[in-house]
Amino acid sequence: MKVIVHDLGTEYDEMLQKKCDAVICADGKYAPCQGCFGCWTKHPAECRLKDSLHTVCRVIGRADELIIISANYYGSYSPVIKNVLDRSIGSSTPFSTYRGKQMHHTLRYGKHDLLKVFTYGDITEEEKATFELLAARNALNDGYRESQVFILKSLNELEGMLS
Amino acid sequence: MKTVFINGSPKKKFSASAYFISVQKFFVKGEKVKETLRNKKDHDRILSILEDGDAVVFCLPLYVDSVPSHVMSFLKEMEVYCLDKHLNLNVYVISNNGFIEGVQSKALLQVFRNFCTRSGLVWGGGIGIGGGVMLNVMRIVFYVQIGLLFLNIFLSGTQTGNWLPIDAFTNFITQALIIGFLNLGVFLYTLKMGRAINRRESCGEKYTRILIPSFVFIIFADIFFTVFSIFEGGFFRGWLSKK
Repeated sequence: MKVIVHDLGTEYDEMLQKKCDAVICADGKYAPCQGCFGCWTKHPAECRLKDSLHTVCRVIGRADELIIISANYYGSYSPVIKNVLDRSIGSSTPFSTYRGKQMHHTLRYGKHDLLKVFTYGDITEEEKATFELLAARNALNDGYRESQVFILKSLNELEGMLS
Repeated sequence: MKTVFINGSPKKKFSASAYFISVQKFFVKGEKVKETLRNKKDHDRILSILEDGDAVVFCLPLYVDSVPSHVMSFLKEMEVYCLDKHLNLNVYVISNNGFIEGVQSKALLQVFRNFCTRSGLVWGGGIGIGGGVMLNVMRIVFYVQIGLLFLNIFLSGTQTGNWLPIDAFTNFITQALIIGFLNLGVFLYTLKMGRAINRRESCGEKYTRILIPSFVFIIFADIFFTVFSIFEGGFFRGWLSKK
């Protein structure tokens, strides 16, 4: 399954839906993660906050290919995208293992294939390096085979790059 | 010299970040202000406090390899505010994560460094702490040990007339030394960062962890989450299954 998470606004949904199996529009109409671990310990793979991200981890967890389209915030994701990712940790389990010689959680839905990150907006060389490190860390943490980061000079490039 | 400590944990009480702030505060001189950043309502209050500050210490948990979303929202507003007011703050960060390797906070510290560049602020450096949750649990265990010590003194004094029970004191000191040892890396690096804050210097980016072998840590973490999940009920609701 190919899943796209984006912060471009709902006007992009129609175009993006043609490129994947599920689109998550990060519109910010939801609460931040409260750090309660309830999605591991109380109601597995389910957030206690009953908004649009209530079971988003089940969609992200099933992605073979996850595409994240985000504005650049200091070499990291925009708050609305990061909010979706923070609320998705139920895609892993509370049990720990070694992956890449480091401690990580075991994966509720098994390993994934490809994590692609498209970032747009003004970006410095240091922020590019940070984004590449962050995507590689996300890939390791969530069990992706590989991560790729693409810097968009203009959003007009996006449709052609989402083959 | 005014240092503002910002707790970026969304938890209302007993957060690991609050614990690390209390340790870091111990090594910092001058006026110290502690603030909690949990949602957008906190932004204006914290920004106004920063205006006459010299240094700011963010203490926060690592979420999905980077800054928690609610802290990222604040950073964007802080960037605009600092550029507008021409603030010249030194920025320091203590990032803690539930895994054992402190270096898992590397990307988070880089994000803060990039934030400083954009905001015209001075990057003072940071500490990535592994095993933050367990160190925080140890802190709570330490408080319980203090309570038990007083209980033992009271029981011993009232029942036998001995108000100095040696066994109780020995047990307490042993427990305190073990907890202190587990925290040794944290104490060392917060001491170094405290000196850097006091001198308005940079301490670089450092990583430390709870001082136990990782395989032992993983066993304890698994036991912790198993017990926690039994009490919370998730253990009986398809704990590890695909939903």
